Amino acid sequence: MNAMTMIELGIAIIILIGTIVGFLSAIGFLRLPDVYNRAHALSKSATLGVLCVLVGTFLVFLFVEGYFSIKLFLGIFFVFLTSPVSSHVICRAAYRSHVSLAEISVRDDLKEAIIENNKETEDM
Amino acid sequence: MIIKIILFISLILIIISVFATIYRIVKGPTSPERIQALDALGIYIIAGVAVFSILQRSTAYFEVILLLGILSFIVTIALSKFIERGVVIERNDDD
Amino acid sequence: MAIQVLANLLIGLLWVFFQDDWSVLTFFSGYLFGLLVIFILRRFLPTKFYLFNLHAMIKLLFLFIVEIVVSSFVVIGIIIRPKMNIKPGIFSMETTLKGDIEVTLLALLITLTPGSVVVEISQDNKIFYIHTMDIPDLSNSVLQSKDRFENAIKKVTR
Repeated sequence: MNAMTMIELGIAIIILIGTIVGFLSAIGFLRLPDVYNRAHALSKSATLGVLCVLVGTFLVFLFVEGYFSIKLFLGIFFVFLTSPVSSHVICRAAYRSHVSLAEISVRDDLKEAIIENNKETEDM
Repeated sequence: MIIKIILFISLILIIISVFATIYRIVKGPTSPERIQALDALGIYIIAGVAVFSILQRSTAYFEVILLLGILSFIVTIALSKFIERGVVIERNDDD
Repeated sequence: MAIQVLANLLIGLLWVFFQDDWSVLTFFSGYLFGLLVIFILRRFLPTKFYLFNLHAMIKLLFLFIVEIVVSSFVVIGIIIRPKMNIKPGIFSMETTLKGDIEVTLLALLITLTPGSVVVEISQDNKIFYIHTMDIPDLSNSVLQSKDRFENAIKKVTR
């Protein structure tokens, strides 16, 4: 077994770890109770999984084929930057279209703030 | 040889995750949950294409990865703006 | 500061056009050349030369990566627990940062900390409403690490 095969094996193990993280977050998609809790699984675990897979792909083509792919680099950067933004936008849209929280929730500061805000605008 | 087996196991795990998100798209009671599941579906398909490009040793799939990343983000933003107010682009009438 | 980065990228692209050689190395040498141009012209620009806080930028990027790794393992630990006893909820947090870039960076960073997603920001950019998965433990950890994040962001933008 030469050095190149060892490098490839290490990268394959990185990719396997990434897919296992993504698979566990897919299980979270089925188990967690409401849309706000699923946003945690999407914005963190699924993103970490796909980042591991993409970095592994980048390293394979860099070391084994000797090919520096600027497209893949841009893709990694883009996924890393946009996934928190999209999960925040989905949460905001869900709250504004009156999707209620799960029944086990214990606290909701935003509801009180919205009620107070409505009172102030009515007074004016 | 062992590398190919590891990559095939990763591909199978990704396919199971894709089916989990499709279940959520079909079942999810409200429309924000469907949008969220669509976003996750885009992410898992990106991962699947990346693993497939290693198996094929071909650089032709990198455009697919970049374009899917951009398109899934734009679709998510546009759909959630739509269910929030009914319009995609907000106009400020005050100015 | 953002306008300097854009001008630098534009100079790098122009260098590629002049050389008529579409490779990463040519773009990189053009970028270095643009860095030199902006460094010479730095007294005529309204803001500080952006490489002076490169150290703070690298520190902020490192903070992002550490937070995403730690928080995803916290979330996975909650998911694979056989009996899920979580107490989700929305709590509010005040911030002292001003301006669009600083608030956006803080919202991104809070979204990546363990078990917290920013749901809504108030009209005057002062109060964040954050959804968390487990209300006493994880919300306290967010409140504790808030000062650390605000200092790291201030070093980059001010």
